Amino acid sequence: MNNEIKQNVQSSDEEVHYSSFRYALGALLAFFGFSSKTHHASQKRAKLVGDIFVYIILLFGAFLMIYPFWWMLAGSFAYTADVEVGGNAVLNSMTWWPSLSTGSTTATGVSLFYNYKVMFTQAFVKSEYSNFNENFNYWRALLNNLIYSIVPVVVGVITSASAAFSFAKINWFGRNKVFFFLLAAIMVPGASITSTQYAMYTELNMTNNWSVLVVPGLFGSIMTAFFIRQFLFGLPTSIIEAAKIDGAGYFRIFCSFILPLAMPAIMAQGLLSFMGCWNNYVGSYLFIAQDSEWINMPHAMQVMSNGAYKGNQGPVIAASVMCVLPVLILFACFQKLIIGSLMLTGSKE
Amino acid sequence: MENQVSVNDTAADAARIAENEFSAAVSETAENSVPPKKKKRRINQQKLQDNLWGWAFCLPLLIGTIWFVYAALIMALMLSFTGYRLQDGMLTEYLANLGDHIYQNQGWYTDPVTGQIIELEATLDPFHWYKQIFTQEVLGVGGTSINMNEMGMYLFNTVFYMIGIPIGMILAMFFAVCMSRDIKGGSVFRVLYYVPCVASTISIVFTFKLMFQQEGVINQILGTNIAWLKTFGPETWNHLYRPDNPSPSDFMNNPFWCQGFLSKIVIVIMSVWKGLGGTIILYIAGLSGVNAATKEAAQIDGASGWKIFWKVTMPDLYPVIFYNIVTSVIGGLQIYAEPELFIPNADPMIAGYVALVYKYGIGGSNTSPAAGAAYGLFLAVIIFILTLFQFWLDSRNKD
Repeated sequence: MNNEIKQNVQSSDEEVHYSSFRYALGALLAFFGFSSKTHHASQKRAKLVGDIFVYIILLFGAFLMIYPFWWMLAGSFAYTADVEVGGNAVLNSMTWWPSLSTGSTTATGVSLFYNYKVMFTQAFVKSEYSNFNENFNYWRALLNNLIYSIVPVVVGVITSASAAFSFAKINWFGRNKVFFFLLAAIMVPGASITSTQYAMYTELNMTNNWSVLVVPGLFGSIMTAFFIRQFLFGLPTSIIEAAKIDGAGYFRIFCSFILPLAMPAIMAQGLLSFMGCWNNYVGSYLFIAQDSEWINMPHAMQVMSNGAYKGNQGPVIAASVMCVLPVLILFACFQKLIIGSLMLTGSKE
Repeated sequence: MENQVSVNDTAADAARIAENEFSAAVSETAENSVPPKKKKRRINQQKLQDNLWGWAFCLPLLIGTIWFVYAALIMALMLSFTGYRLQDGMLTEYLANLGDHIYQNQGWYTDPVTGQIIELEATLDPFHWYKQIFTQEVLGVGGTSINMNEMGMYLFNTVFYMIGIPIGMILAMFFAVCMSRDIKGGSVFRVLYYVPCVASTISIVFTFKLMFQQEGVINQILGTNIAWLKTFGPETWNHLYRPDNPSPSDFMNNPFWCQGFLSKIVIVIMSVWKGLGGTIILYIAGLSGVNAATKEAAQIDGASGWKIFWKVTMPDLYPVIFYNIVTSVIGGLQIYAEPELFIPNADPMIAGYVALVYKYGIGGSNTSPAAGAAYGLFLAVIIFILTLFQFWLDSRNKD
């Protein structure tokens, strides 16, 4: 009975005649990987078409991601100091390539790297409109940024790794309690205690100099310790046992086994916190006065942008490029490590 | 030659002697049969070492956390009941005798007859700052005669910026699904999309600011003429503004709702653009953990790709999405740098709540960390309640 019905259905299906238009449409759809009643598209073709579609979307997205950086780079070559053209107005007509023509008869000595020259020599120096310190200049900003992003990160990652080692591989009294005590500290929002920290730092004479951006970082960060701890759980404990039997103390084990073995995790966390410290605008802005010689690069850029270079943003974009460049180069060199670590830890930054 | 032999001999002797001694020692312990005491002592030694080094290794992090987080939190709680200002001297001394420093409300009035200012007796008011959070008003918003609650304005801006969270999540999901397809060069896209995450906010803000000028690139590409970044002036209030009918009670005539609206949109666009890569990587990591066998089974059963995504992939991705929502909300409530950099000194119009905390707590010479502490703790309470609420929703979902 059932069979009969099925056969009937099938035969009725076969009898259907599609119009030539529908037939052609089906063929066309099948060519693009979509099955229809008239034509069956192959799996391979469907995948190919889907891949092309996905590629187009991803390329468009990648374009949106990269274009502002390209525009930044192109803009850093534009000559914006021209009053006749209207300063920043030069940038408005720029979509792809830097507008290199000065468009003015008054501009002299303009070269491609004019903005960079201005930035290195004049932009970060005290002037009528920019409230910088007398001793401040571009190289000082760069040096400060290097100090703020290398010293606390290197020391902090090692202290975090040591804490991670102690939590992952040493059995001591109260270990889990201390660990949760530390983890609970993550829930305290940074912004809610910043003003109290400001009062504390002022009491300790830490504001308006280097220490406010260095000392807190030396103690390590809880998240870094947490991620390195996760990594250390994957290491076999037998290594440590073997080292112990051979007579190595915990300090020796940490230095010659844990640090080298956990290097991928330590490097990734270190690089991520390096990037965070390099871009740390808020810390410098809140705790260091803008006329101090200890402000970092982003803060100096903000001072400069709101000061003498408000109507002449060329040097500001050049500074932006120089601020982004080191981080981008680092990221390009270590992208596999960084992305791999992000995927492993499931964190965003 | 002879020498060598003798050396060998002595070495062999030494080894023999050592062996003898060792076996003697072993036999001694076996004969005496009092190992429990010795063993116990050895274990204690090991335990002592473990405890000593365990504490020593985590001590720097522990001290840092106690000092910079817990001590600061407790001090913030104490401070919020006082009237501490930076010129009042040492913070710890000030807090040591907290009882003398509770905030005092110094009332005064002008005598209507003599015109003298008469000071009232000071009254203790420990909750002064907390009351101020709810009662402080911004007078004459945007040059009009409208007064608005200050905290409400700042908090509205913060919440407004949080519309970027769902947008970013949907976009990230879309791109993550595209990238986790079996295509060549998927990892290259992953890297390219992550680039904005590592770039410094300030460089990106400066670039976006120039790109979103009224005659700028974005308007040229879109073929529009929108004043994206103008915060002040009625021409930017938007087309709903009716200058012929300026009544303060009219919702759309309140400049707060209209002024800076487009700037806020630009900030949302920027933060979505900047945060997309991180979320994508999070989702790709989640997608790679989705059970492939279930997916294949569904495929064989004839489920469409759309259905597989909703019924198989999404339930597996749920923890990742939940984690992302929680962290994004916590981070989104603390937005500060972007609006502040985009349009400096446009505070109540576009700044987020954290700007209010810093305005009272850190800005200028006349600051009061006490006020900053109270405003900050209020934010902490909001974040804590929201997070608890999300976890409550999560637990309800699971049942």
